[in-house]
Amino acid sequence: MQRLSFRDFSLVLALVAIVAVFTWQSPVYLDPRNLSNLAVEFSIIAVLALGVFLILLPGQTDLSTGSGVGLFGGVAAVLLTNQLWPAPVAMGAAFVGAVTLWALMGLLIVKQRIPAFIITLAGMLVFRGLHWLVIQNNTIPVRTGGQDNLLSSLTTWYLPGWAGWVIVGVVAVTLGISALKARARRRQHDLSVDDADTAFAGWLIPVQLLILLVVVMNQFNGVPLPMLILGITAVVVYILSRHTPFGRHLYAIGGNAEASRVSGIPVERTIVTAFALCGVTVALTGFLQTSYAGSSSATIGQYLELDAIAACVIGGVSLAGGKGTVAGVLFGALIMTALLNGMTLLAMSPEFKLIARGLVLALAVWMDVYLSRRR
Amino acid sequence: MTPVLATDQLVKRFPGVVALKGVSFDLRPGEIHALCGENGAGKSTLIKTLSGIHPHGSYEGRILVEGQEVAFTGIADAETKGIGVIYQELALVPEMTVAENIALGREPTRGGLVDWLTMNDQARRLLAKFNIALDPETRVGTLGVGHQQLVEIVRALGKDSRVLILDEPTAALASHEVELLLEILKDLRKRGIACIYISHKLEEVFAVCDRITVIRDGATITTLETATTNRDEVIRHMVGREIKDLFPRKAGTPGDVLLAVQGLCAEPAAGDGITLKNINFEVRAGEVLGIGGLMGAGRSETLMNIFGAWGRRTGGSVRLKGQPHDTPDPGSSIRRGLVMVTEDRKKLGLVLDESISFNMSLSSLDRFTKGGLLDASAEHVTNANYFKRLRVKAPDMEARVGGLSGGNQQKVVIGKALMTDPAVVFLDEPTRGIDVGAKLEVYELINELTAAGNAVVLVSSELPELMGMSDRIVMLGEGRVGGTFIRGQCTPDQLLAAAIAAHDAPSSSSSATAR
Repeated sequence: MQRLSFRDFSLVLALVAIVAVFTWQSPVYLDPRNLSNLAVEFSIIAVLALGVFLILLPGQTDLSTGSGVGLFGGVAAVLLTNQLWPAPVAMGAAFVGAVTLWALMGLLIVKQRIPAFIITLAGMLVFRGLHWLVIQNNTIPVRTGGQDNLLSSLTTWYLPGWAGWVIVGVVAVTLGISALKARARRRQHDLSVDDADTAFAGWLIPVQLLILLVVVMNQFNGVPLPMLILGITAVVVYILSRHTPFGRHLYAIGGNAEASRVSGIPVERTIVTAFALCGVTVALTGFLQTSYAGSSSATIGQYLELDAIAACVIGGVSLAGGKGTVAGVLFGALIMTALLNGMTLLAMSPEFKLIARGLVLALAVWMDVYLSRRR
Repeated sequence: MTPVLATDQLVKRFPGVVALKGVSFDLRPGEIHALCGENGAGKSTLIKTLSGIHPHGSYEGRILVEGQEVAFTGIADAETKGIGVIYQELALVPEMTVAENIALGREPTRGGLVDWLTMNDQARRLLAKFNIALDPETRVGTLGVGHQQLVEIVRALGKDSRVLILDEPTAALASHEVELLLEILKDLRKRGIACIYISHKLEEVFAVCDRITVIRDGATITTLETATTNRDEVIRHMVGREIKDLFPRKAGTPGDVLLAVQGLCAEPAAGDGITLKNINFEVRAGEVLGIGGLMGAGRSETLMNIFGAWGRRTGGSVRLKGQPHDTPDPGSSIRRGLVMVTEDRKKLGLVLDESISFNMSLSSLDRFTKGGLLDASAEHVTNANYFKRLRVKAPDMEARVGGLSGGNQQKVVIGKALMTDPAVVFLDEPTRGIDVGAKLEVYELINELTAAGNAVVLVSSELPELMGMSDRIVMLGEGRVGGTFIRGQCTPDQLLAAAIAAHDAPSSSSSATAR
């Protein structure tokens, strides 16, 4: 376990301050109903940020995810509502499209050596245009004939109360066992291990947070499905980044691309794979965001690419690559969501919401630059 | 006659190394004075001290200009005292015109705006003064390297330099451009401008220089009048030392040929650089092949090309363990048993922000993967094994590599290479910048490798190391083989002569073979 750094500490403080200010201004901020909404919004940003994380790790960037979210949510909605395809098939088609396009962008970046900034900036414009073409500038509902389907249920279905507790139990046991195993392994190899109290705290704190989450969510409708999707995504990205050669390669490329190449790492293939995986999260986020809005309309996903990047950077992912963790990204996404949700709740005008978003992004990047200069 | 520039017992220390151990020499007005010495002899450090890059206070001893001691605070200060330096790599802005480059940093202005007419006029007059036929409004990027070099010289002279220091000015020039440059130097001499001329190419040195100062191991060995000396004498002074028993090479009986390179030709994939021409050698199991040569001879490029990390191959064939190895990339080379420890460990060897274990297993992750997941235990056991075997000095394997000393960083890079279980190991300057103890450990490791039936190719700039650790030696110059030698049957003079011969004879492909 690494110690809490100055940075971690200041992030927790920032979250507390954000929550305090919004609760003071609008006491319903901490109501279970709003927290349930906040959980859904958090899941949407966090799933996308986890995908963008995989792209930032090897030192690339992606500005097109927001437009992609709009496009593939729209594709699914149109196939479902206008073409009357079954929801899983419509979503599957959109999913394949997203992965293909993202892999293609990755290929252009590594094979044609066009900077990711430019390719994804172009993608941002092209995908937004495609989105508007697909929805014909209409609002396409995700529910057809008053019937719920897989797409519309994504953000309206809640886990029953008992299911939340089952998940708590499973996570607590899994976390405990894997922590004990890791501890035994480190001992076996004469590596330093935390003392029992610290190790126990390292298990207790996440489990308590999870219990708190389930308690609060069960006061409303239960744990929303998007949280489960986020949980699965986070576990997958965590395993990919920490426990596979692919993940090691991402960190190595971001740390020193030239040395990685000379070390025999398939640099190009790794970057293309990272983009394809980001495409997966773009499709997922597209479904979630469109479902949450109830329909696909022209502005779905707008600026989401910046929220995702901001979440990563706030969470300690370096824009230069090579640094960052899944936990950090989740925390960064939480801060972004707390802020965006609070501003909506206060019915702040879109003008000020934009300005606040911009300032937060600049502040987060400044913090990244400042902290990396200090070490 | 008061020397225009002189040094008196100059001593420059870096952490762990004394780069200059008392350099004294003097430059007379209007002479061309050559500085000769092997790579690493201290020439670059001397220039950096003379030009203010190593400012006053960072060295001991005195620098005198016109007999007066000076204390340069930086490059700009040295320039105002009339010392201009022309570096090996050009420092011009290719997108700007000749006049803009000459005026760079001191553009004539009128009312706060650049005065283009005056600027072009000044440049035209300067160019005319030195009989250089260049249009001041030509974009520098469109000029050949030789003309760019001339622009750089004019720029230095435009600052009223009395002393011009040229560091390997002809390294990138074609022969007619070299002649043009030498003519200009002779012309400068007539105008009373003194030059310090640094070149590996003794032919040029003998063509234009009045005196030659030889530097070896950071000290001035002797100063010779060009008229009364010869090439062999200069080379003898450059090499000078005895090869001591510092090199514990234990040679065995070579086995099968593991790597055979035939007629290898390659060129840079993009931009400038050395071209490799018809390189031949082979390495057998249990053998150390040394590759020597001067700076820019193409040693690293040769290894990197075979490994698949540099340039485009234009001819020849490479066989690795009997199989063709003609379209390599680092990944496939490593999988097939060829690994390379690169010269620049920070740029090409390590992920500095990551831990020792992260770096050591980086090339071997596939071996530790079960069902798509890394087996942390297996990885750790192997890492710990190499960590101990290489005696890396660090608190533990999770220490950040960037915080280690050069020698320990090098051990991590070597560990990473050896973990891939190679048959052929390329070591490019494996002992550069590391202390004597760590050097010996690297030599022991080379012995272990060959004893285990591996083939080692060792590139080194240090002749003693090359001669002490190699079973056979190939000398390169200008991207071609200048000669192949057998351990114990060659002298440093012969090796250096072979490297210089390849340098000085760009058109011939003769090889002085002493096998």
